[in-house]
Amino acid sequence: MTHQAHSYHMVDPSPWPILGAAAALLTTSGLAMWFHYNSPYLVIIGLLSTALVMLQWWRDIIRESTFQGHHTPTVQKGLRYGMVLFITSEAFFFLGFFWAFFHSSLAPTPELGGQWPPVGIQPLDPMDVPLLNTAILLASGVTVTWAHHSIMEASRKQAVHALTLTVLLGFYFTGLQAMEYYEAPFSIADGVYGSTFFVATGFHGLHVIIGSTFLLVCLLRLIKYHFTSNHHFGFEAAAWYWHFVDVVWLFLYMTIYWWGS
Amino acid sequence: MAALGRVSRLLLGTAAPRSPPARGMAVAAHEGGGARMWKTLTFVVALPGVAVCMLNSYLKAQHGRHKRPEFVPYTHLRIRTKRFPWGDGNKTLFHNPHTNPLPTGYED
Repeated sequence: MTHQAHSYHMVDPSPWPILGAAAALLTTSGLAMWFHYNSPYLVIIGLLSTALVMLQWWRDIIRESTFQGHHTPTVQKGLRYGMVLFITSEAFFFLGFFWAFFHSSLAPTPELGGQWPPVGIQPLDPMDVPLLNTAILLASGVTVTWAHHSIMEASRKQAVHALTLTVLLGFYFTGLQAMEYYEAPFSIADGVYGSTFFVATGFHGLHVIIGSTFLLVCLLRLIKYHFTSNHHFGFEAAAWYWHFVDVVWLFLYMTIYWWGS
Repeated sequence: MAALGRVSRLLLGTAAPRSPPARGMAVAAHEGGGARMWKTLTFVVALPGVAVCMLNSYLKAQHGRHKRPEFVPYTHLRIRTKRFPWGDGNKTLFHNPHTNPLPTGYED
């Protein structure tokens, strides 16, 4: 029987990377087909295949780590680098939309009536549902930290309670934002105000949904005994991502909702 | 720059996973019993904070929202450079007939 003389994980050949790339191609070209040729079928296939690749790739990673033990401390360190770099790239992604917002709002053009918010725009009251949403995300940051400490102290019941609360708070935020989107007196088509508002908060909302899903998967894994008190990087990655989502919201709230109203 | 090194070492610690520092609570030097502190914070600060904000929103809703503003056909709003790829191509994704006028005015 052969043994590797190093602590890295030489992954078995996998179809998911290339299939993931194919799924991305189907999705992007599908968007073009939908927008320009009025046919939604390609984008539907693209999104479905993307979801299937994600499910199977991450399922395989769980198999390799939890069940086959390939995630040594060295491997885990690499994963930590990876998650940090990914979140950093996401921070730059949002930075672009904040740039766009300040570009348009710091020097409002005559077409907008020379003011911000533009003439005819009734912004949302920042002290209403947006404030509640801020409280919800901050609270979820506290509950996810409670969950983390519970995992480290091997308090299973507490960890489940705390992580469940976190996921519920995440869903509550999403529900409230959807309601806000429907009730808002302005839309994405309302000039640069609408564009900056809905693109920035919309991508944030998408990240909340992604983060909530990540946390939900961690909850299911927690219930199925995947984590130990020393080794639970999947949970840590989800918690980092969730804190990032919270911080982006705080910036959105302070700039677009509050300063921009 | 030195801080960046410290932060990355904190995040990349291998054997001992650590939680990312939370707002204002970073230096609490609690070893075991950290979970108890966060549980307390959850039920004494975080969730009551959410409840207070829920009450606030409820009371604001009771107070009665603004009447919807009169429609003025501004050219910098309700832009329709290209049809939307759904429905009749004239309504946004979260269109609300009561609060969102079309370029020609409110529908109802």
